[in-house]
Amino acid sequence: MTGHALLYVVVAVLAWVVSGRLKNARARRALMLGASYVLYASWGLLFLGLLVFSSLLNYALGVALSRRPSGATLAGGVLCNLALLGTFKYVPTILPLLPDPSVATAVAAIGLPVGISFWTFQALSYLFDVYQGTAPKPSLSEWLLYMAFWPTVLSGPICRLSTLLPQFRDWPTPSGEDVGRGLDRICIGLWMGALGQVLATGLRPGHGVDAAFDSLSRPWTALDVWVAAIGYGFQLFFNFAGYSHMVIGAARLFGIRLEENFDRPYLATTPSEFWTRWHMSLSSWIRDYVFLPLAMLRRETWWRSVALMVSMIAFGLWHKGSVLFAAWGAYQGLLLVLHRKLQGLQRRFLWAAPGAATTLLSWLITFGVICLGWILFRANSVSQALTMWRAVVTPSLYVRPLLPSSLYVAVSACVLGYFATVGAISWYRRRRAPLTVSFGLRAALYSVATYAGLLHAAATQAFIYFQF
Amino acid sequence: MKYSSLLARWVWGPVIVVGVLELCARVDDALMYGAPFLGRYSSENLFMRDRIGLRGRPGARFQKWHLNSLGYRGPELRAGSIRIVCIGASETFGLYEAEGHDYPRLLEHALNAWAGNDLFQVENVAVVGQPLAVATLRVPEIVEHVHPSLAIIYPSGATYTWLPWVQEEPLSSGAAPPDPEPASARFEWRIMERLRNLVKQGLPSAVQTELRRLAIARDIARNRYPVMNRVPDENVHRFRQDLLRLVTALRARGVEPVLVTHATAFGKELSGEDQELLVAWRKFYPMLDENGFLDMEQRMNGAIRDVAAQEQVSLIDAARELPRGREYFGDFSHFTSLGAEVMATHLADGLRPLIDARLPRRN
Repeated sequence: MTGHALLYVVVAVLAWVVSGRLKNARARRALMLGASYVLYASWGLLFLGLLVFSSLLNYALGVALSRRPSGATLAGGVLCNLALLGTFKYVPTILPLLPDPSVATAVAAIGLPVGISFWTFQALSYLFDVYQGTAPKPSLSEWLLYMAFWPTVLSGPICRLSTLLPQFRDWPTPSGEDVGRGLDRICIGLWMGALGQVLATGLRPGHGVDAAFDSLSRPWTALDVWVAAIGYGFQLFFNFAGYSHMVIGAARLFGIRLEENFDRPYLATTPSEFWTRWHMSLSSWIRDYVFLPLAMLRRETWWRSVALMVSMIAFGLWHKGSVLFAAWGAYQGLLLVLHRKLQGLQRRFLWAAPGAATTLLSWLITFGVICLGWILFRANSVSQALTMWRAVVTPSLYVRPLLPSSLYVAVSACVLGYFATVGAISWYRRRRAPLTVSFGLRAALYSVATYAGLLHAAATQAFIYFQF
Repeated sequence: MKYSSLLARWVWGPVIVVGVLELCARVDDALMYGAPFLGRYSSENLFMRDRIGLRGRPGARFQKWHLNSLGYRGPELRAGSIRIVCIGASETFGLYEAEGHDYPRLLEHALNAWAGNDLFQVENVAVVGQPLAVATLRVPEIVEHVHPSLAIIYPSGATYTWLPWVQEEPLSSGAAPPDPEPASARFEWRIMERLRNLVKQGLPSAVQTELRRLAIARDIARNRYPVMNRVPDENVHRFRQDLLRLVTALRARGVEPVLVTHATAFGKELSGEDQELLVAWRKFYPMLDENGFLDMEQRMNGAIRDVAAQEQVSLIDAARELPRGREYFGDFSHFTSLGAEVMATHLADGLRPLIDARLPRRN
């Protein structure tokens, strides 16, 4: 991981220096495509071959669809993409169930192409948009860059062609503000990544969230489950949102503006709001290409609930083909359905719930149920997840914690520190005072972020979302 | 922006960056490992020199390596336990394994799980790079301090690649040479080691191998080493003799030795990655051509089997029985945590009949 990070830093700096000397957008696109392929090839030449194959296949399908929009062509395209994704992502999971596992074993030996879930969904969104007649028409080189754009290809955010293509075509020379904002975002991302790492490994070796979940023989008290679930929720958030900050910052260094992927999700006061703030690029993808088409098939209310459940289960399975991820998706779907029902009741009885106390209660419940949901996301087995959930609903287990106290300290510090920071930023923004940081302090903050992100340890934990 | 302001940024910017990075490294070491913030902190802290040679510094700590008050890796001795010592070099001392996952520690867990109590204590008395001749000189103090019943000997034949490096006698019969540590308390940039590691991890393995080849060539030219295709028979003979002396020395003090052949990451067929590993190994012994290492392993392990047969010492043939591959070995011969676990299980299986036959088990 650290080696790859260093390679990305070196190639990005070289590309940035060369890009500044290029006069037109076409040359910049060519440079970025070359850099993207070089970086992707560092994960494996075979993976690069697959990415190029998928890109060319989808481009051809897009051209065919734009000439003659046909349901059969779209269905064929969707099937091709899902087959490619399924072959590498889901077949190895069901390997033991296959009667003749030789081919599947060979596929499993290749491994999971990095970012395949992300770039496959980018391709699918293009096919859907072309079919609906809303997609722009890219040239082949523009399309190849859209699929392989190095900041986003590994772990998103899942971009839409309509957002990126105009910027690729009119690629501006990055301004001083772009560079400053880009570096700030990268710095913030490195900080968040380091915090995620602290939660994962703990303040002392073996005292982190990972150890808490991986000690299978551990008896769970309710307090332990809460701290492990909240700790993992924040670990995942710092890890993935931090990574998204770095991606957005890296693209901004080159003058490209990507859409946000997180918007302070733990401030959400309802599950529906949470899903407009968490992994926004995927949740909007699922909304646009799974939920809405499904929901429009029938008008009944119950069908909307079914569509929600199906969409969220698909959301869960996108991460990994496992019972736990399907259960996590179903759990989130259930929360959304229950929230809709509650909204329906509110409308029916004309009951409004104003006031800070109600908002606070709503936030507390949302935060709690979302965090309990992370148990399904992180647990090593269904039985472990059930054991942990059972502990939460057993009053007699709310007595004494068994997990190390340093984990309680780390989780509390991260959670309180996060909310304090978010509050301070909001307060600062309300004052409309420009936040100025001196050169010396900025250099120091960048240095600390560089240390935390690159130099802290040679063997750092792999980025959680790379596995998807 | 004024020219002077720009100039000040160019001057102060790098100073701030380097200063903050160094500060971070020191705070990190202090928080993670309890390292001194200002003092010197390096792996050299773990060892000291006495009149016999290199030995563990009592109570020393560096990152995951913690030595007890006797200078051996691991916890303090427990009263009332049956002690087993593990004699060897860096493979036994531990390198890549997580804290508490060196094979002697895992062997202790395995034996105690078998016994159903904390009856056994396995003491890791290995010293990095220690040849058998030096280990033999250490036997009296080990026996005096630890009172072991069994001694597992996991010798590294590679330490006999170049005989001038094999020390035979104590450095002097008088007082120990002055400990070099206090004299070298100069300022060292801790960030440099991290940067070096980062660059090393970022370089493709082929480039790293080429850099190693250059370093080997430089070392050979500087020290005028003759390059051998094969370890001379004299070296194998010397290894065999020293192993015999170690076995005799242990038995003379009532400690029953158990010999273990030396396992490596290499299987029968060498892959491209294996070739690179051989170059990495050669960096420590530049005088031996890469192709000579596997032959050396075979002959040294042959010597271990001979001694075991001749002296009727129990033999655990790790070289033949341990699985190969990078999941078990962090490099050519040092274990990963998983490798150490396999080794410990293997040793525990091999020791059980011996323990049953020779040692009283208490409930």
